[in-house]
Amino acid sequence: MAPLLTPVLTLIARHRVLSVLLFLLIFPWLMPYEALAVNILIFGLYAVGFNLLFGYTGMLSFGHAAFLGVGSYLTGMSIVHAHLHWLIAIAIGVGASGLVGALMGHLAIRTRGIYFSMVTLALGQIVYYGFYKAERWTGGENGLRGVTVPAFEFAGWTIDFTNPVTKYYVMLGFVAIALGLVSRILASPFGAVIEAIRENEKRAAACGYDVARSKLLVFVLSAAICGLAGSLRAIHLSVVPIDSLHYLQSGQAVMMCLLGGMGTFFGPFVGAAVFLYLEDVVTTLTRHWMAVVGTIFMVFILFFPRGIWGSLIARWERATTPSAQT
Amino acid sequence: MNAPLIQRHAMDVQADILIEARHISRQFGAFQALTDISVQFRAKHLCAIIGPNGAGKSTFFNILSGAIAPSSGSVLFQGQDITGLEPHEYARRGIAKSFQITNVFKQLSAHENVRVAVQMRHARFDFFSPRAKLAGVAQTAQALLERVGLASLGQKPAGDLAHGQQRSLEVAMALAADPQLLLMDEPTAGMSPEETTVMMDLITELAAERTVILVEHKMKLVMGICKTLIVLHHGQLLAQGSPEDIRANPEVRRVYLGQG
Amino acid sequence: MVELTPQLLGLQLVTGVALGAIYALLAVGLSLIFGMLTVVNFAHGAFFMVGAFLGIYFQTLTGSFALSLVITPLVVGSVGMLAERFLVRPLYGRGIDYPLLLTFGLSYVLIELMRVLFGIEGLPSSTPAMLRGSVDLGIGRFPLYRLVLIGATAAVVLGLWLMIEKTRFGLIIRAGSRDPEIVRVLGVDVARVWLLVFGLGTAIAGLSGVLAAPTRAVNPEMGITVLAESFVVTVVGGMGSLMGAVVAGLLVGVVFSMTSLLAPEFAELSIFVLMALVLLVRPQGLFGKAGLMG
Repeated sequence: MAPLLTPVLTLIARHRVLSVLLFLLIFPWLMPYEALAVNILIFGLYAVGFNLLFGYTGMLSFGHAAFLGVGSYLTGMSIVHAHLHWLIAIAIGVGASGLVGALMGHLAIRTRGIYFSMVTLALGQIVYYGFYKAERWTGGENGLRGVTVPAFEFAGWTIDFTNPVTKYYVMLGFVAIALGLVSRILASPFGAVIEAIRENEKRAAACGYDVARSKLLVFVLSAAICGLAGSLRAIHLSVVPIDSLHYLQSGQAVMMCLLGGMGTFFGPFVGAAVFLYLEDVVTTLTRHWMAVVGTIFMVFILFFPRGIWGSLIARWERATTPSAQT
Repeated sequence: MNAPLIQRHAMDVQADILIEARHISRQFGAFQALTDISVQFRAKHLCAIIGPNGAGKSTFFNILSGAIAPSSGSVLFQGQDITGLEPHEYARRGIAKSFQITNVFKQLSAHENVRVAVQMRHARFDFFSPRAKLAGVAQTAQALLERVGLASLGQKPAGDLAHGQQRSLEVAMALAADPQLLLMDEPTAGMSPEETTVMMDLITELAAERTVILVEHKMKLVMGICKTLIVLHHGQLLAQGSPEDIRANPEVRRVYLGQG
Repeated sequence: MVELTPQLLGLQLVTGVALGAIYALLAVGLSLIFGMLTVVNFAHGAFFMVGAFLGIYFQTLTGSFALSLVITPLVVGSVGMLAERFLVRPLYGRGIDYPLLLTFGLSYVLIELMRVLFGIEGLPSSTPAMLRGSVDLGIGRFPLYRLVLIGATAAVVLGLWLMIEKTRFGLIIRAGSRDPEIVRVLGVDVARVWLLVFGLGTAIAGLSGVLAAPTRAVNPEMGITVLAESFVVTVVGGMGSLMGAVVAGLLVGVVFSMTSLLAPEFAELSIFVLMALVLLVRPQGLFGKAGLMG
């Protein structure tokens, strides 16, 4: 391991939220164009929310697009139909996703292991079809349009969301809060409980933990975070495409997490960045992006299941752990 | 202690019974695993459930520990009916168990295994405070590791421990809940003679302060240290009593064909 | 407003059975793979789609629908076996989610492959010449092809049942579903069994694609919704149960069909709501074993 990398990673691990935020502060300047940076920020948050459930608790949900979509639609509809203030609209989006998460979780957590993935996929499709059919409110097939936030004054500055750089830093504020929350959760007693559940559910129950209720709680928290990502996305795109709710969008969260590194704090962002940057580049070269991403995904599953960041972290852990050999 | 002598004796006897099985029966499809078993287990007793293979010991153990529910009958703990409750509710009431096939958090360190078990009594759904600040949890965990002789192995992943060490780790985790009742299913299974002695010494120590119920098929081990033995055969209660009673029991002798 | 005569309802019911037959076949394939390998094949919809495309291709090539009915499942099954051997097998023992995730990635590749081979618009599909026309069922005229579809599915399910109940291979499947370790201990070449079962499961998916092609639009995306619908059937019927797959498949087909007639807005939603109800009342499915769920 490169001699400089180890101490750097140690520093990052100790102050993970700060490190990620510092990186994200300079991130727009690393990307070819700012809108891509905003996209990565949003999907990074989506992946972080998903990772809480999948990477840390071990529950593979294929219905998380429902939360991204509900966040987007409820925020969008609050702005378009109810003309609410955008901050309130975001709050509604997050709250609604949490609620849908509670409902979906209640039904899905009755199932174990592999079933969970199938059930969450199917439950997510209920949300998809529901929003598809409610054309009057959601725009149906064409999606919801006109989610615009007028420019406003704040602390002497004019904040205009049509400027992608402004948009990025305002949204970074929300992401910062969310990341802080996720970090607290992971470092809390509850954080130990969900990891114990991932390691050995029966054992966790034998220790006295109410596994079903713990799973439901983390499911709702995960849903709310993904809902926030959705809320931000609605404002970013000014439209809400119906495909936000389709299970392929759920699959995207899975892919980003695996690419970056499940069960790591920064991994989801790395995964989102790599995924979206690659998509940006590859789609200019070929139409067959789906085959490319499918192949890369399979390659990672077979050979690099820890993901990019996860593999780095694993190397670092080996380098820093005092030899407790055999 | 002003109650008349006879009443007091009755109260003492009532208080003495920690866990009770009432008319427990269990079928698996067409197979009758247990038939009408009624046993009272007294507090601060070291008791063993013994019997030949297939006698239903593990099934009975699983019912007592809440892993499965009986087909009929009930389990009472401190006078309360706990039949059919979730496993975690058993643990919360002060019933801890160690599994027949060692079941620890393999990827977590030995210390973290015990720490998680200890944490249960302090915080379960707290998702906001830093757990490193939870007063005393880490210290209690370390003390428990010392108790079972694993103090120096705290940082090792539990999956890397030797078999006997993993079983000791399980005992530490069971003790983390400070249980009144400790259920152990074949605690010395797969252990070397040295490890077995260590485990039996530990069990004897523990039995002085809490109730311990073992399932064992190594008769020699339990004869020496247990106060009460319960013998199952073909899913029925064959005999119960002190080791001397059991040794002298003609039914038991017949069933075991002179073993033990 | 269409008048809801008993005849119309009856015909719609039969339509539902025809739709359900496809669902049943798909669920049977899924269940076989899961029961034996404990793998949820997220590429099942994609194999269905590949079957539809290849079915049309071979029919055009050979001029015979019957021939394509035989060749296509064999080809699809072979692709399935290749996938199992080189992509899925390395993942056994890694954790239950990995094979699932891999098949998800595989579905992406299969979809794109069909786009490359046959174009993004898909292929025109039509009922084979000999099976066109309609039959008088007493309550009205009903497309002959769909009756043939029901018959073909019944024959396949019967054949599968016979294979599983009466042959040695079927015995291994039954034993392996209950306890994979036992099968290994008994000296059976488990790897080979898994290969064949995966091949069989995907072949059945391909077959259902061939059969379904004349009844719907054939495009690379057709498997995406079908996958979700297969999961609904599996949850309703109970995973690992062939009887459950068949009964639930027919039930879901009928529910969809009747809702299409009586409350068309809710047709797609109806089957998912059915699944949600089953989850609430009987999480292990109609024929599933308790303990695997809930």
